[in-house]
Amino acid sequence: MSALAHFIERAGVATITISLIREQTERVNPPRSLWVPFPLGRPFGTAGDAAFQTDVLKAAFDLLETATEPTIVDFPHDAPGEVGPEQWACPLNLAVATDDSLGGRFQAEIDSLRPWFDVTVERRGRTAFGVTGASIDELDQVAVALLGLAETASFAELPEGAEWAFDMPLLSRHLASDMRMFYQEALAAQPGNGAPTHDAINQWIFGTTVLGEVLQLAANRALESDDGATRLIKFLMIPEGHH
Amino acid sequence: MVRLNDLHPDEHAHMLARLDGISPIESAAWVTPPALADAKVALVSTAGLHRRSDRPFNWGAVDYRLIPGDVDPADLVMSHASTNFDRSAYQEDLNVCLPIDRLNELVGSGDVGSAAAWHYSFMGAMPDPANFEATGEEVGRLLAADGVDVALLIPV
Repeated sequence: MSALAHFIERAGVATITISLIREQTERVNPPRSLWVPFPLGRPFGTAGDAAFQTDVLKAAFDLLETATEPTIVDFPHDAPGEVGPEQWACPLNLAVATDDSLGGRFQAEIDSLRPWFDVTVERRGRTAFGVTGASIDELDQVAVALLGLAETASFAELPEGAEWAFDMPLLSRHLASDMRMFYQEALAAQPGNGAPTHDAINQWIFGTTVLGEVLQLAANRALESDDGATRLIKFLMIPEGHH
Repeated sequence: MVRLNDLHPDEHAHMLARLDGISPIESAAWVTPPALADAKVALVSTAGLHRRSDRPFNWGAVDYRLIPGDVDPADLVMSHASTNFDRSAYQEDLNVCLPIDRLNELVGSGDVGSAAAWHYSFMGAMPDPANFEATGEEVGRLLAADGVDVALLIPV
C-alpha cells in the first residue's frame, strides 16, 4: 500500500497513507502516514460510527499541515465496540438436519440462516454477496458448487450453475467468500452481545458450522492437487489459525 | 492493536517474511499541496473493491479499477484474494474501508475543497509492492490530470 504513495507522488499529487501494519510502513517510508491500531479489514475502525471514522480521517488530513519530511503518526484511540471469541456467542440457532449427509446438513443450515440474511439485507439495503458473479437467487448453486469441491468435483473445471466471474481454480476461493458473506450477513440480523471480531467469526464458522466442515474438506482436496495454483487455494480459503 | 506481534503466529511469520521481500523505493520530491479547504481529494483503496460489472481482480493483480464518487455501495463487491482480514465491518458499512460518505461530509462542511469524481481501487497483499510501479505511476498521472491535489491511500 505505502509503495503506491511513492509512485503517485511522482505525478505531483500529495499522498497520505493509512497504515495498519506499522512495520511495513516503516520499511517503505512513504511521505505521510497515520498508523491506526485497528484490526485488518477495518482501516477506519468501526462500522456505523461516523464520528469515529471522521476523527480518523481528520487525523490523516492533519498530516498535510504538520509533516515536512516522511512521517508516521500514531492514531491514539482504539476502535470501540469489538467483541472477541471469549465474550461472543452466536445468537442464531443452526438447524439440525433430518438428512445427515454432508449435503443435507449444509442445506439445512443454509435454509435456517436465509430468513436472517433477508432481514439484514432489508435493513442495510444491500448485500456484499455476489463476488462470484452469482446473484443471491443463485445461492443454492454457489453452495452446491462448493459442496462439490468438498466431495468429488474437479478444481480444473467450472461448476455448472451461474455465470461465474472467475475461472477455476480461483473461483473456488470466491465461492468460499460468497458463502461467508451470506453467513456473516445472517449473523448480523441478531447482534446479540455485540459485533464479533474476525477471530470470533472464524471460531464460529470453523468450530460449529457445516460451512466450516465443507471449507476444510474442499481446502484439503485442493492441497492434494498436482497443480500449484490449486494447492494455493487452501491458504486463500482457510484463515491463519484454522488450518 | 495490529503490530506484527499481535497477529496469529503464522500470519506474523508470513508478514515478517514479506518485509524482506519489499524492495527499497526512491522517494519523489516532496509535494506541498494547497490548503485542505482548497484541495481536491481522491481515495485509493487496496481492498480489492470494484463494481459488480467490472472484471474481478485476478491472482497477483497490479491493475486497478475506478470507483465513481457517487457509487451506490450495493454496486460494489470485494474480490481480494486474502482470507486473513475481516469483511464483516465492510459488509455493514462501506465507510469502514472506503470513507466516501465521510469525505463528502467534510466537503459539505468546507473542511475539504472537493472530492474527486473518481476514486481508485487496487488489490493489495503484493509480495513486492515495487510491482505496482507502472500502474501506480499511471494512477498518479490520471489523478493529476483530474486536478486531484491529495490522494488518501487506504489498506485493508
